[in-house]
Amino acid sequence: MIAQAVHNEFAKMRHLRVGPLVAVMVAGVLAVTCRELTTPGFLESVDDPAGQSWQRLLASMAFAAPLVSPILIAVLASRQVDLEHQGNGWLFSHTSGLPAGRLCRTKFLATGAVLGAATLIESALVIGVGTLVGITVSFPAGQWLAYTASMVVVNLVLLALHLLLATRIENQLIGLGIGVLGVFLAASGSGMQPWLAHLTPWGYYALATPLDYRGEVLASITPWHLSIVALAVVGTAAFLLITRRFDRQEV
Amino acid sequence: MYGFLGPNGSGKSTTMKMLLSLVRPTRGEIELMGRPLQRSTRRTLLADTGSLIEAPPGYGHLTGGENMRLVQRLLGLSDKQVNRAVHTVRLQDQLDKKVRNYSLGMKQRLGIAMALAREPRLLILDEPTNGLDPAGIEEIRGLLTQLASRGTTVMVSSHLLGEIDKTATMLGILSNGKLLFQGTRDQLLARSTPDVLIDSSNPRHAASLATQRHPTRLDGPTVRLSGLTQADTAAAVAMLVHEGIGVHGVRHDTQSLEDVFMDLTGGGGL
Repeated sequence: MIAQAVHNEFAKMRHLRVGPLVAVMVAGVLAVTCRELTTPGFLESVDDPAGQSWQRLLASMAFAAPLVSPILIAVLASRQVDLEHQGNGWLFSHTSGLPAGRLCRTKFLATGAVLGAATLIESALVIGVGTLVGITVSFPAGQWLAYTASMVVVNLVLLALHLLLATRIENQLIGLGIGVLGVFLAASGSGMQPWLAHLTPWGYYALATPLDYRGEVLASITPWHLSIVALAVVGTAAFLLITRRFDRQEV
Repeated sequence: MYGFLGPNGSGKSTTMKMLLSLVRPTRGEIELMGRPLQRSTRRTLLADTGSLIEAPPGYGHLTGGENMRLVQRLLGLSDKQVNRAVHTVRLQDQLDKKVRNYSLGMKQRLGIAMALAREPRLLILDEPTNGLDPAGIEEIRGLLTQLASRGTTVMVSSHLLGEIDKTATMLGILSNGKLLFQGTRDQLLARSTPDVLIDSSNPRHAASLATQRHPTRLDGPTVRLSGLTQADTAAAVAMLVHEGIGVHGVRHDTQSLEDVFMDLTGGGGL
């Protein structure tokens, strides 16, 4: 039944402009990231290992993702859930054997697949752009993959959070407002003390960042990988717990 | 067809939600189609139960056909089952239209088609004619009669007796969460205690005497006494004769089903 329910979620996405919305997110991250290409000396140093071209693109992506992703994730989650509020879908699904919590989990699987793919595409496109502009120095695969994986985790945790908010609070402006607040928290995360960044899911964008400028110099820093793993574990447990409660709640 | 009647707020929707496992009863047990509704039997029983509770379901951004396909996929139904449901509610020509452009009547019909597609033995409909114009009400009424005649048990709620009085074969009347009556239309009428109307030589004096024992009202030349048993009626007549009032006629008031319903529910909601 879950497979059919997930299939249904993809069918419900028709006419909801999910594709364009995700495309905006990918294009937004790519555009802000590619701003780095216009900085003086970047294109001249693409074959100079000291120029750290890949690292500069990665740092730029780590700046772009928290600026663009949180609000678009909030919109994505809101659109997926609001249709259930508007179409009396919770009741119908419940009487068809798919209570609210299970429907939420199904939505997470379907929307999460789209969001996860979009995040991977974002990362791949940045690599593509780097290759196109002729970066020939060695590619920091480990660093890049670890950051991309961390972004997928943080984005999915935020998606789960917004799905729960949109389900619980019928007024979708609340969820979107929290998304806007998330942009501020995410964007200011790199300036926060690490313990403070740990307190909200948006802060984890900063904790995942593998590079930071020390004055004019781009330096590698150790990302908080264990914290990202902990976020994934806690996020999964909380999502399952809360959606199981939704399953038992009266409609 | 079971007509579930009661004033607004009497508990009709809550009862229906309990039958659908959407609300847990605080106490008591539910039996559906001869089987207790429990966690172990819920799935099987609900697979045989179609429902339309509160607003009709339907995703406005999708067409009627796309909505039906969602139901088909979720419940694993065949094309034949879906087509039959769509034809039953006569929506086959509107399937390419987005649901947001449907009239309320069309949305109700789509909701009923979604409930019917699984070919349920029991169909639970909560005020399906709410907000419809007279033509829409008549159409839904005809549809429900047709379904019931095909062997589906239809439970339909309303706060308007006139809406289901003509079609329901069994009536249940609820007020303040209590089932006040359950039976046929004739049994309901038999439950009534119509007013006793007395025509006399001195109605004003007769009314002043009767009012000491029974609720009494003077309707022109007729004295109207409420809530009298047969013995009370005999005693009232005897008293009037004893007081020297000439009794010209004693009869029961004719009571409509609405009056009975009003009596039972305390007049709420009509």
